[in-house]
Amino acid sequence: MKCDKFIEALATKIKILEVTRQCEDQVTALVELNDLPEAVRFLYYDMGGYLSTMIANDERSINKHYALYYALSMEGGKMFEGDEIAQDEKCFVTVKVLISPDNLTYPSVTPFVPACVWYEREAYDMFGLVAEGLPDKRRLVLSDDWPDDLFPLRKDAMDYRYRPDMKEHYNEPEYEFLRPEGTGIIDVPLGPLHVTADEPGHFRLFCDGDTIVDADYRLFYQHRGMEKLAENRMNYDQMGYLAERVCGICGYAHAIACIEAAEKAINLEIPARAQAIRIICSEIERLHSHLLNIGLACEVTGNYTAFMHIFRIREYSMKLAELVTGGRKTYGNVVMGGLRRDMTGIEIKESLRILQIIDTQVDEVWDAVMEDKRQIKRWQGVGVLDKQVARDFSAVGPNIRGSGIKRDTRYDHPYDFFKQIEFDVAVVEGGDVFAREMVRYMELKSSVSIIRQCFELMPQTAIIVDPKFHVKPEDFALAYVEAPRGENVHWIMQGSAQKVFRWRCRAATYNNWPSLRFQFRGNTIADAALIVCSLDPCYSCTERVTVVDIKSKKSKILTNKDLKEFSRTLKNSPMKDLR
Amino acid sequence: MMKLLDITEKYGNTTHKYPFEPYKVAANFRGKPAYVFDLCIGCAACGIACPSNAITVQFNKDQTKLVWEFDCGRCIFCGRCDEVCPTGAIRLSEEFELAVKFDKSALIQRGELDTQYCTECHKPFAAKRLIKYGYECLSKANLGEKRLEESKNYLSICPTCKKNATVSNFTSGKEMVIE
Repeated sequence: MKCDKFIEALATKIKILEVTRQCEDQVTALVELNDLPEAVRFLYYDMGGYLSTMIANDERSINKHYALYYALSMEGGKMFEGDEIAQDEKCFVTVKVLISPDNLTYPSVTPFVPACVWYEREAYDMFGLVAEGLPDKRRLVLSDDWPDDLFPLRKDAMDYRYRPDMKEHYNEPEYEFLRPEGTGIIDVPLGPLHVTADEPGHFRLFCDGDTIVDADYRLFYQHRGMEKLAENRMNYDQMGYLAERVCGICGYAHAIACIEAAEKAINLEIPARAQAIRIICSEIERLHSHLLNIGLACEVTGNYTAFMHIFRIREYSMKLAELVTGGRKTYGNVVMGGLRRDMTGIEIKESLRILQIIDTQVDEVWDAVMEDKRQIKRWQGVGVLDKQVARDFSAVGPNIRGSGIKRDTRYDHPYDFFKQIEFDVAVVEGGDVFAREMVRYMELKSSVSIIRQCFELMPQTAIIVDPKFHVKPEDFALAYVEAPRGENVHWIMQGSAQKVFRWRCRAATYNNWPSLRFQFRGNTIADAALIVCSLDPCYSCTERVTVVDIKSKKSKILTNKDLKEFSRTLKNSPMKDLR
Repeated sequence: MMKLLDITEKYGNTTHKYPFEPYKVAANFRGKPAYVFDLCIGCAACGIACPSNAITVQFNKDQTKLVWEFDCGRCIFCGRCDEVCPTGAIRLSEEFELAVKFDKSALIQRGELDTQYCTECHKPFAAKRLIKYGYECLSKANLGEKRLEESKNYLSICPTCKKNATVSNFTSGKEMVIE
């Protein structure tokens, strides 16, 4: 069976304590704590794995331990032609370790596999599990004023309604940015709120003259605690709606990933028509996400005419979503066991007409943009993501495909209806902004073709199966969907009373952020916004701002409360303290 | 660059004069839920189905009215309320505009229904209309006049009193009757 080859190879290197199989292409191997770095490194580099997600879990009520799951997608290294494993051998192998509550430390994998860095930082924030040897031990997801000894995802830590008292301003630690050594280097802060960024994120650019030497960033300005919320009060019907709200663009992909994780764990197969409509919706989502990003890449470089044209075409993708799901965004359609809404013949006919419009008009605008040499010059050679860096950090989506690595979940692990659909994976060499936008253009074309094929091939079956299912507590499974920004991976461990025990939702951009600093290096400040834009990042929202007085060079952090207070009353200006 | 201007020429004006001109939406568009008070029986099915807690159904302070409240600001337009409503009192409309007034309360709709008091303990437990609706459903079921009258009395007892009655019947050795 699938995965056996990898487990056998792993067994020759280290001792495997237990092997469990979740479904046909997912297997979990329990290893000893000290063998963890070697097990992950071996599967990652020697066997051709990519880190899909890492899940920390509080399993004290099950086996009196905390657990870590490193889920690797086995695809082959793909660094050169032929370095890819056979299609029927691709699968997910998860390395699991148990950590005793008496000693909350484990050996860090990051020195061997750099892709683990954010996951291990998050494991500390949420569970207090300390990675020994982790080069970067700063906080990641929780804000700086969060109490030190409160780890929110521990089962006994807090209720989801509890709001802890935040640290006082003066006790709040200063966030340390990783500053490169050298003379003549100055810090240029970009954010947390900045006109060129769509959403908040604090980028600290270290510049020598106009050139960026290095960069560091602080994100998660408003961590919404969705995983905690889902664990406490959501049933599976509501989970779909919550997962949609993870992201404004890839919402549908999150919803199907979340619901499919639950479906996979109980081996529930949904009807073929529902599978096809799920794919149609996720491809519509790709159409409007890619049109958004190509438009913004033009806008950031000052090409407003192209931006307006692309947004005019994007309107058609929203019309399409309206026809298929009833809303201008493909929301509220997925439920466990299938879908809520079918398509009629008239809707299909109208959709095909709109698809034709998108197909021809995208070409018109793209040809015009490609003829504009000034536009191309702004994109070429900017923000290069090296192939090896992309491999080391397990980047996903157009980010990695623009660096010449053929990595697409629809192709590597065909889910739902994708087994019956023909499409080419868009891969472009170069790794710069131009390559990434080129990948997006090629995917626009392939998305149109995929939607057409779905309409042609979808059978006249029901759209939902009778939901007579019972989830089994402690069963878990992964689900993966190729969202516009890359692979979204959801992991669900079932709890009792038809609820989740642990939901781990890993959005595409989470895997892309850590390699961003390598893309900044060597570029000018003017290109910083463009590089961030070409990553197509997914931020969340902010809760604080930093006010800097350029004369006195003092800065002050204002919380949400301070800012609102000042905006409402216009009294006690925060600038007073700075002068 | 000039080619882009040619495209502009080709497609001309593409914007709508919204809000002066109505925006046409597709059939089956999921817009703002519209509430018809006269059809509502206060069964709270919509409140239970609503994933974002936009609909709440609870008694007012002095428990004389069952208050149905819908906050459009919280609504995610999923249409679950439409699906579960047994009387069609709430249906999705084609309207989508939320930014109409500066007043936040314009987003809230309320409906107040008369309360049914329990004939045993005299505490409020449901809306009068719900009990009436239940009786109408039973009267269509050809139960016979005697059983229908019994059911009518039974309907106006609150769940707690029903439970207590069953328990006391059981402990006193009487036969348990489940209607």
